[in-house]
Amino acid sequence: MRRLLASQETGLVIVLVLVTLALALLAGTHPDRESGLQVNNFWNSHTLIQTATDASFFAIMAIGATLVIISGGIDLSVGSIYALAGVSMALLLRAVGPLPPTSTSLIGLGVCLGVGLLAGIFNGLLIVGLRVHPFIITLGTMWMLRGVAFVASKAESIRVPASLTCVTKASLGLTEGLFPVPMLAMLVIAVLGSLYLKRTVMGRHIFAFGGNLEASRFAGLPLRRIQTGVFAVSGLLAGVAAFLGAGFYGSASSGDAQGYELYVIASAVVGGASLLGGKGSALGATLGALLIVLIRQSIRTLHLDQNYEWIVIGCAIIAAVVVDQWSTRLAARRLSGRAGTDGSAANP
Amino acid sequence: MRAFRKLAALAAIVAGAGACSIDTGAKPPIQAKTKDKITIAMIAKSSTNPVFLASRTGAEAAAKQLSDSLHITVEVVWLTPPQEDGQVQAQRIQQAVNDGADAILISCSDAGKVTGAINDAVDRGVPVMTFDSDAPESKRFAYYGVDDLKTGAQVMAELATLLGGKGKVAILAGNQNAPNLQHRAQGVREEAAKHPGIQIAGVFNHIETPQDAAAEVIRAGNAYPDLSGWAMIGGWALFTQSLLTDLNPARIKVVSVDALPAQLAYVDKGVVPVLLAQPVYQWGFVGVSIIVDKLHFKKDPPQIIPMELIRVTKENLGVWARQLRDWGFTDVPAEYLSR
Repeated sequence: MRRLLASQETGLVIVLVLVTLALALLAGTHPDRESGLQVNNFWNSHTLIQTATDASFFAIMAIGATLVIISGGIDLSVGSIYALAGVSMALLLRAVGPLPPTSTSLIGLGVCLGVGLLAGIFNGLLIVGLRVHPFIITLGTMWMLRGVAFVASKAESIRVPASLTCVTKASLGLTEGLFPVPMLAMLVIAVLGSLYLKRTVMGRHIFAFGGNLEASRFAGLPLRRIQTGVFAVSGLLAGVAAFLGAGFYGSASSGDAQGYELYVIASAVVGGASLLGGKGSALGATLGALLIVLIRQSIRTLHLDQNYEWIVIGCAIIAAVVVDQWSTRLAARRLSGRAGTDGSAANP
Repeated sequence: MRAFRKLAALAAIVAGAGACSIDTGAKPPIQAKTKDKITIAMIAKSSTNPVFLASRTGAEAAAKQLSDSLHITVEVVWLTPPQEDGQVQAQRIQQAVNDGADAILISCSDAGKVTGAINDAVDRGVPVMTFDSDAPESKRFAYYGVDDLKTGAQVMAELATLLGGKGKVAILAGNQNAPNLQHRAQGVREEAAKHPGIQIAGVFNHIETPQDAAAEVIRAGNAYPDLSGWAMIGGWALFTQSLLTDLNPARIKVVSVDALPAQLAYVDKGVVPVLLAQPVYQWGFVGVSIIVDKLHFKKDPPQIIPMELIRVTKENLGVWARQLRDWGFTDVPAEYLSR
């Protein structure tokens, strides 16, 4: 229980609950169009699911980016992989023409995952093969992959088949106008990501790789495979986000997800990932994305001036990381204090 | 630990209260009646583009005027993203509906991305009108703006006249993904094809900021020393003053869309002899007026409401400057107001 309370995720959950509570109290109400009853401007099913949906695309990519960050790297190309995967899917589905809904969805998902995975492997192989820092390689591929998407799509925004939108906007038995699929996908991927990082050997290898490269090398870990693997997973999850995004919004273009890489990295960092490597969690990244989107949402829900959005988000990111560092130092000091006390008790 | 328990209890209370208030089934609609407050969510392409700030001024002026004359409250809620992003616009449409907006007025950054969200809004009882950049396949009830193909053609026709029907021309085209700009560029090409002496050097896209646009003009000018004209289908590059010295009017002729205060010096100094102004203030003013007509007076407008371009030259510079001032622009140079 003490470990649970001391974890970064618990702190984020508390902040999320407090922000949610504040928004629910301060948001005001409006009359419901159908019933005429007063509805809270924030605490209603539509806004809550919409907020989670907005966060889901960042969060899914942030889980992949967290793996990369834990390994001590960085992936600036996730937004471009998202655009390329979406455009490839839309072009292919347009080329093959009308198909049954299941086939459309499966082909779409396959193309997005395939393109995302290949782009991620491409990043990983370049980093490992050329021995260049991931920042430089993914900075380059960020432009290259978006350029490929641009040339392939001829700058067109390509509509995806309606059957795909029906899948990603399925109401799953909820009221009309509620679309929980991206949110559910985010939750499933967060759980799978957590299990992968905490319960599998590969996951623990990533922490070891990012925490102490030299020790990992002496321990005989497959370093090249680990590094290529994290970029592959990051690309794969960008592909998943692209499938959900293109389906949900109904089209794909080379301009999609421009600048999202920074939101994705911010989500991972706010979620507790250390840019020095060796630290981070999938759940933290998801909560980080939710917090950033919630802050963005709060500016609009409280009818604050939209022009302050970037300032508020920037301050929130810095504040979150500083608070995290303080709490880490405090915990370390407590531990060293306790160790000192234990030591003095053992050696009077 | 005790504090955590309290927080957990609080969270549980909040969650429980929410679960009670979340509606899970459709309820019978209440009888329609004339509302005493109309909230219009306005979603332009980007809040850093001055043309959309002018449209916001127009929308707010119309809201004030209509509130006074009809004795109702017309409110404009500005939900424009800081940067162009169709996906964010779609999210803001959803948010406007969730917040109880009565109507939405939008200029679409990416028609494909917002069509689904517009249709969802209409299905949930919120009428949507587009301006500047349309989503023609959506369920929006009206579009107000220029015909982009015609605009591009008009820019090229003016330029061809200035060039005497011959020369190498470049197209400054802003965001490559914006469908309205793609149509304008197509209009320029189609018109150029009617002039055998005109050759298109290329279409130059750029990030839609004044600095990026001006830099693109200089780069292209260096790459094509034989360039004799610029067809600017948006006014971005002329929002800076740097091209006043970099473009030689004796060698290069320029015709541009838009005629905002920062661009007027280019006309005055002869660097850009013709500006084709979109009365951008009217996007907001006319948009809000049409929405109020629909919601308050139950009037259905035509689906396409064309906006005509205004030709601004040295001859009518003073008249146009005063018009801009009357529309709320505070940065119109005083020297033009007295002409």
